[in-house]
Amino acid sequence: MSRKLVVVFLTMLVLVGAMGLKTVVTAHGDGSAIMANGAGPAPITPYKNGAGPAPITPYKNGAGPAPITPY
Amino acid sequence: MPGLLVNLLWLVGILAEAAVVVCALKKGAFRRYLLLNLYMAGLLFVELGRYRIVSQYGLRSTQFIYFYYYSDAILTIFLYFALCTLYSHVFSEMNAERYVKLGAILLLAGTALFTYAVVMQSTAKLLTHFVIELSQNLYFVGLVLTYVLWGAILKLRETRARLIQLVLSLGVYFSLLAANYAIRNLYPPLSTVFIPLVQIFGVFLPLAWAYAFWRLPEEARLVPARLAVIPR
Repeated sequence: MSRKLVVVFLTMLVLVGAMGLKTVVTAHGDGSAIMANGAGPAPITPYKNGAGPAPITPYKNGAGPAPITPY
Repeated sequence: MPGLLVNLLWLVGILAEAAVVVCALKKGAFRRYLLLNLYMAGLLFVELGRYRIVSQYGLRSTQFIYFYYYSDAILTIFLYFALCTLYSHVFSEMNAERYVKLGAILLLAGTALFTYAVVMQSTAKLLTHFVIELSQNLYFVGLVLTYVLWGAILKLRETRARLIQLVLSLGVYFSLLAANYAIRNLYPPLSTVFIPLVQIFGVFLPLAWAYAFWRLPEEARLVPARLAVIPR
């Protein structure tokens, strides 16, 4: 097997491992972001919808009336 | 505006990030670890920008949310490439730089494709979803890559103290964030303790890197582990 194919295989292996690890770590997650570059406070995750009051989401600002949620 | 302790930690973090760049410049290591230092310099500017936006618009403002997550994604990509340059340093004697570059590009493209496949179902603000998810996925890819690099350092009996310090601190930083996230989701009542810890972890990485550049000269070597099995 050529070295290039080995590199392709290893990258795919790392990707599968990383996504598997993400699934394990965020299995009980509330949808909030995990990453933090820097020491500053993190804002509300745009797509966090926990049990509490809904935070401000940057892409839920339609002018029209909200439809009934199917769930 | 955030509280006094939050601001204090934020200030310490900004100073530590500046210290990394200054120490690297002072010790002549800026060009040797170029992407690592560019990441830190970028982080410093982003942090200053975040502070300005928070002071002007507030912590819950849309401006801050967008600036934070978009800048975070760019920084994570920078950190990913910085990590790849650490691979180049570790494998420098094996002339594997070409393969490291190929692997880095392939892995980034694979992660981006995977992220797009996951978020393409989003009907609104596809780009925002994509940017945040890519940042998260790259974070986990970075975590796995750091552990693989730890393994390679042990296997190859790497002795360069500064390089080891840089890789180990990155591994500890990634691991602390992942463990913190998992614990606070498993035990939600502890969130009040674990969420502020993220800020302290954010200070840890630049402090560890500043120490590596300031206290450990490039020529410093560690004694290899003496646990190897010696056949009689």
